[in-house]
Amino acid sequence: MFHLHLSLFAKTKALESDIDNFHNKLINASMTFGKAVDVYLKEGKSEKFKKISRQIKKIEHEADALRRSIENQLYSNNLLPDLRADVLQLTENLDRIINKFDEATYMFYVEQPEIPEEYHAGIKDLGRLSADCAENMGMASRSFFRDMASVRDYSQKVYFTEHESDVCSRQLLEKVFDSDMPLANKLQLKQFINEIADIADTAEDFIDELLIFTIKRSI
Amino acid sequence: MDLTFWFYLSSGLFLGWSLGASDAANIFGTAVGTKMVKFRTAAVISSVFIIIGAVYAGSGASQTLGTLGSVNTLAGAFMAALAAALTIYWTVKLSLPVSTSQAIVGAIIGWNLFAGKPTDVTVLSKIVGTWVFCPILAGIIAVLLYFLIRLIIRRCRITLIRQDCYTRIGLILAGAFGAYALGANNIANVMGVFVASSPLQAATVGSLFTLSPAQVLFFIGGIAISVGVFTYSRGLMTTVGNGIVRMSPLMAWVAVVSQALVLYLFASQNLQHFLISHNLPSFPLVPVSSSQAIIGAVMGIGILKGSSINWNLIGRIAVGWILTPIAAALLCYISLFFLQNVFNLEVCR
Repeated sequence: MFHLHLSLFAKTKALESDIDNFHNKLINASMTFGKAVDVYLKEGKSEKFKKISRQIKKIEHEADALRRSIENQLYSNNLLPDLRADVLQLTENLDRIINKFDEATYMFYVEQPEIPEEYHAGIKDLGRLSADCAENMGMASRSFFRDMASVRDYSQKVYFTEHESDVCSRQLLEKVFDSDMPLANKLQLKQFINEIADIADTAEDFIDELLIFTIKRSI
Repeated sequence: MDLTFWFYLSSGLFLGWSLGASDAANIFGTAVGTKMVKFRTAAVISSVFIIIGAVYAGSGASQTLGTLGSVNTLAGAFMAALAAALTIYWTVKLSLPVSTSQAIVGAIIGWNLFAGKPTDVTVLSKIVGTWVFCPILAGIIAVLLYFLIRLIIRRCRITLIRQDCYTRIGLILAGAFGAYALGANNIANVMGVFVASSPLQAATVGSLFTLSPAQVLFFIGGIAISVGVFTYSRGLMTTVGNGIVRMSPLMAWVAVVSQALVLYLFASQNLQHFLISHNLPSFPLVPVSSSQAIIGAVMGIGILKGSSINWNLIGRIAVGWILTPIAAALLCYISLFFLQNVFNLEVCR
């Protein structure tokens, strides 16, 4: 029995640490993405941007490894049997957000869109709002494991920032298509705006699921 | 001691086996059903603690049954236990919550009637009172425990994963306590009727301790219950965990501890002495139904969380309170008649 308790505590601690680190990755990815958008708007595909882009890729790889480790621990050590499905769903969702940051940064890296000066402020805002939205999603998810009462507070922030990013992306799209830019450029910019706004939309979808998980677990 | 003793005891052993098969699910059902605890771990812990509870603390409730009616021949005890077992089989068929206690009390009354012995109405009313009181008390304890756990979780801000770890350990400890309380309280149902007529002698285990003849009987009964746990409780545990009552492991812990506390309150002589010596109201030592205790606990939590009262279930429990003892008494009376007049066996003195 003593051995059982010791090993159970050790396994619990390891899983707790991995889940914590996984959330750190999401928060890091969202902050780094905000920085990447800023740098790209200022410098284009500079060395600094390339470095940040590599950073996000690295975060994405590390997050993947952590997700696999979490899944492995949950099944091989038979941890959290009653909410394993919810935890797996949650980590998959967070991982998808991290992937979206990586995809968006990679799009900038590969396509190197030419963004006229007049859209810089709007795209910078959109990038910041999407990053904030994802960051709050990460905080809400972390609270699910640590302090369930706070999940609702963070979810409110997610809803708010998602709405703001929606407004911002719509305004940007209207402005782009009202301009005299060639259609090809307009479509390329539209794709970028949608890609960035989609991060916030995804975070909002996932927060709905998280709230259901929280209701299921609330005592 | 010849083979006839074991033949007569077989009905009690069968009763013990069925008790182990059905009631272990009340203790470890959700833990095993939700895969928090492995079946093997649950079965080993249940068996060990049921035997300890039965041998160490089984005499209190058994004495109460003895005062209700002291079945004084082995053939009479055999038939009383068999009548109880057959009644349980019948109530299971009717999907009524099974209560070995109610069946054995009915069977003893049947024997009393056949033997022309008086039934102590005071003891009987005390026993019947506990049947009604037991699920209510379990419900109240469950509600209080629920509030306590909620307070601890909110105050201490225990993380979800730690909560899971503590719940798992808590379920094992609660299961051990539940098994101990089940053994202590319910061994009287299984072996109580054999105490007066058993030819067993006291046994010394090494030079460590000596078991009284009743304790040796309870040990044998405890083994029968354990066999029931190992051979037949797995399916029921999974059903309890996933089907009939779907609860989170934490709520399962609350329900199991509530049930175990109720069974312990109605079985512990030490606790009774302590309460009496401090001029506090004590609990009568009476075998109670673990199934009905856990139903009371689950309903208590359910009502607290806003679920409507399941009057159908309460109705079925109440029907069980009346139907089970009457059926067991009738069956025992008729069977004793056959045993005495057809097989020429001495069923009472």
